[in-house]
Amino acid sequence: MLTRDELERYDRQIMIRGLGEEGQEKLKQTKVFIAGAGGLGCSASIYLAAAGIGVIRIVDHDKVELSNLNRQVLHWDENIGMGKANSTAEKLKKQNPGVKIEAIAEAITEANISQLIAGFDLIIDAMDNLPTRYLLNKAAIGKNIPFFHGAVYGFEGRVMTIIPGKTACLQCVYHGAITPEEKFPVIGVTPAVVGCIQVTEVIKYIAGIGKLLTNRLLIYDGLNLKFTELKIKKDPNCEHCSHLVTKE
Amino acid sequence: MSIKVDIPYFFQYLADGVEVAEVNGSTVGECLEDLIKQFPNIKQLLFTKSGKLDMFRDIYVSGESIYPEGLAKPVKDGDELYIAILVAGG
Repeated sequence: MLTRDELERYDRQIMIRGLGEEGQEKLKQTKVFIAGAGGLGCSASIYLAAAGIGVIRIVDHDKVELSNLNRQVLHWDENIGMGKANSTAEKLKKQNPGVKIEAIAEAITEANISQLIAGFDLIIDAMDNLPTRYLLNKAAIGKNIPFFHGAVYGFEGRVMTIIPGKTACLQCVYHGAITPEEKFPVIGVTPAVVGCIQVTEVIKYIAGIGKLLTNRLLIYDGLNLKFTELKIKKDPNCEHCSHLVTKE
Repeated sequence: MSIKVDIPYFFQYLADGVEVAEVNGSTVGECLEDLIKQFPNIKQLLFTKSGKLDMFRDIYVSGESIYPEGLAKPVKDGDELYIAILVAGG
């Protein structure tokens, strides 16, 4: 049940046809897991909190560095040296006290992933490397949790929504390829845009409105301000999802 | 037969700044060969030293991945090739 304050806080989005009070109540009942408190994690968490998601768990084992501040907008000069998960949680709690924020300063590994995501309804991919993304993808499919992929490089971004058992997954797109772990170029506005698209997908999914970015990889090209869609098919030999029956 | 190739921004410095190139070929592999004829420096960003397509690249023909056919995937007049670069930053 939404409180009087909540009805006022979320008034403008409750006005959206298809969302309404019912959709807002669903947002309040949803628990979202965010993997990573970097550029994408900051952007995504701000708008999830603003939208009134019930519980946000943000996981990151890194500490804030000066070179993060061009894009990781929830971390400030005063937070340098602080854990990113806690730095993010500190701001989000002030931004919207009605949202329960959980910060976990741990690396996501094969050993702990199952425990970390247990009880969560949705997973946002805000990682900075592919091996952990594959771990998340596999775990999300194993636990039947929708997975919202995002990635950035320079002025470019990628976004895709994965519904286990129904749509192509991250492994279907990249077939296990990994990039070398190295410092990558990025301007802050790119994860801002990509993180916001991920959250748009999350809200649509929860409310059951619109058309999800499934079986489509969205390429965001900030330099030419162009969005390109690539068709993605379920790989019948996918190591992560081919065992699941397509329900579409 | 005319095929257009969208050259990624990251490659354009090796292609005289060209954003879209016109190539000929009946397969993706032939089209990329023609692209490399026009812009030889692009080869290092597309293929490994052993001549295989770099695992960090994926080619899409008019929006569809060449997987699993790979470079042998046929193309038809008017198709557009998109070179997608594997992106992993966050």
